[in-house]
Amino acid sequence: MNAQRLLAFLVAIIISAPLLLPDGQGVGLVNAILIWSIFAIGFDLVFGVAGMLSFGHAAFFGVGAYTLSLLTMRMGWDFIPSLGAAGVVGGAVALVFSYFAIRVSGLFFALLTLALSQLIYIMAGTKLRMLTGGVDGIAGVPRPDLFGIDFYDDGNYYFFLLAVFILALLISGLIRISPLGQALRAIKSNEVRAEQIGFNVQRLQRSVFTISGIYAGVAGGLLASLIFYVGPQMLHWSTSGDVVIMVLLGGMGTLFGPILGVAIFEIMREWLSTQTSHWYGILGLIFIVCTIGMPKGIAGLIMQLWDRITPGGKS
Amino acid sequence: MSGTSEAKHVLRCEDIEVSYGAFKAVTNVTYEFKPGLLYGLIGPNGAGKTTLMNALSGRARLSKGRVFLNDHEITKQSPHARTWAGLGRSFQITQIFAEMTVFENLRLAAQAHRFRLQPFWSPVGKFREIANDAEKVLSEIGLENSAHVNAGSLSHGDQRALEIGLALLSEPKVLLLDEPLAGVGHDVAEKAVELIRRVTEGLTVLLIEHNMDVVMEISDEIIVMLAGEILASGEAETIKRDPRVRTAYLGEEE
Ligand SMILES: Nc1ncnc2c1ncn2[C@@H]1O[C@H](COP(=O)(O)OP(=O)(O)O)[C@@H](O)[C@H]1O
Ligand SMILES: [Mg+2]
Repeated sequence: MNAQRLLAFLVAIIISAPLLLPDGQGVGLVNAILIWSIFAIGFDLVFGVAGMLSFGHAAFFGVGAYTLSLLTMRMGWDFIPSLGAAGVVGGAVALVFSYFAIRVSGLFFALLTLALSQLIYIMAGTKLRMLTGGVDGIAGVPRPDLFGIDFYDDGNYYFFLLAVFILALLISGLIRISPLGQALRAIKSNEVRAEQIGFNVQRLQRSVFTISGIYAGVAGGLLASLIFYVGPQMLHWSTSGDVVIMVLLGGMGTLFGPILGVAIFEIMREWLSTQTSHWYGILGLIFIVCTIGMPKGIAGLIMQLWDRITPGGKS
Repeated sequence: MSGTSEAKHVLRCEDIEVSYGAFKAVTNVTYEFKPGLLYGLIGPNGAGKTTLMNALSGRARLSKGRVFLNDHEITKQSPHARTWAGLGRSFQITQIFAEMTVFENLRLAAQAHRFRLQPFWSPVGKFREIANDAEKVLSEIGLENSAHVNAGSLSHGDQRALEIGLALLSEPKVLLLDEPLAGVGHDVAEKAVELIRRVTEGLTVLLIEHNMDVVMEISDEIIVMLAGEILASGEAETIKRDPRVRTAYLGEEE
């Protein structure tokens, strides 16, 4: 067994917890982990693979949530096409963002994406109140109606989310090894050289940013249906901050790391919020300590430990 | 085929100027590069040699003038488009994918060249071609034994060779080499000159180099820059005798 398989194994255990534990315990938590993982996996394509720090992903996530909610509730669309539309709209908003933001890089890119997403957040609470329900949001977002299964039961909805999650993970894995993924690695490593050997850097960056927006839109739609609610909080910059923390904590640039990051973040959020009302501050503190202590995240730490306890394992 | 006055140009710049604020790093430069010749570009530090290369390869914006490659205007094209059009280059400060292996570096350059307009998905059959391209250049630049070494841990000289290899994979017609010999020892420099000669056979090359002996020896034509302008150009013997060059540059160096 190599370290990569060990990580896959850990992820498998976490996401199959409801099947392993008696009475499907932990299903609520795992459902949230699956959804945030889809978001984080997509985010890491931009952050970990292409090396662009976006602080605007809340916009694609929130817009996806509103899209699914409005299409199912106001337009009477079925769930699946609405979920597809959530992805499309998330990707479209990301594409628009990318036209503004990709001209600049580094910190300016982060700030520009942040500003654009806050613009959408503010609009959702004010100008678009008729559509979005303003600060109250929209309650009563439905779940899928498929094969006569009652997805309002969390145990059943788990299987639906698991299927979407596995699909998202597979696609991300394929992108990483595809020519696109390789080109993005090159851009992250040395943009000048990548451009000089003939990669259309801006177009490749726009592409991955859009794909990442699709992931975020789908995840946002799924979260709205999980909690039966969408509100402007999902568009707030702190949602972008959460996904950055999750990915950093788990290990940016790795396929499984972000999922581990999400799991730990969600478990801590769940546990800490029952202990103290300052949980978000404490979470931030833990995060800072962790990133200083393990710059490659949990995935990096596990791989390091694994190499140490299996002498000659690297062959 | 070494044409004389009849040979048409492959690269041409027309009254180009690059300015940073009020400062003109390159100005008044009009030049025609003929196919298959090696041009040595010399001039003191800060003369604008690198900036001229940036202007030709699309990294510096022109405040004036036009650039043509094979009679197509490329003035407004971005660097990657110029690479597609046949313009390769290496950099004064080595630009490689340092934390990837030598082979991965070359494979990426091969991929960028082969996949161009379909960079996302491609028939699996093509992947073999990419690896073949990379392997071919790997032996051309003599780094077979370092194929799986991280590029960042290569010796300086080998990194420069890798840079040339990366440029070659885009099958350029014109190659811009910015001080490929700088900072390498005497023996390595000799080998590097031999490498440059061998791989640039038939290409048009613009080479920036400070070592006069080397430049005079390998260049078909020499261009001397001073304060952003071309001071003189011509064959080695003519340049050596040019009084302006002697006072402005040669005298200063040796
Ligand atoms: N990006 C830039 N911004 C401002 N000044 C620059 C820039 N690039 C080059 N210069 C200036 O242009 C002049 C020419 O630089 P360069 O082309 O690198 O010279 P050379 O390669 O001949 O040594 C120098 O004075 C340098 O300081
Ligand atoms: Mg220079």
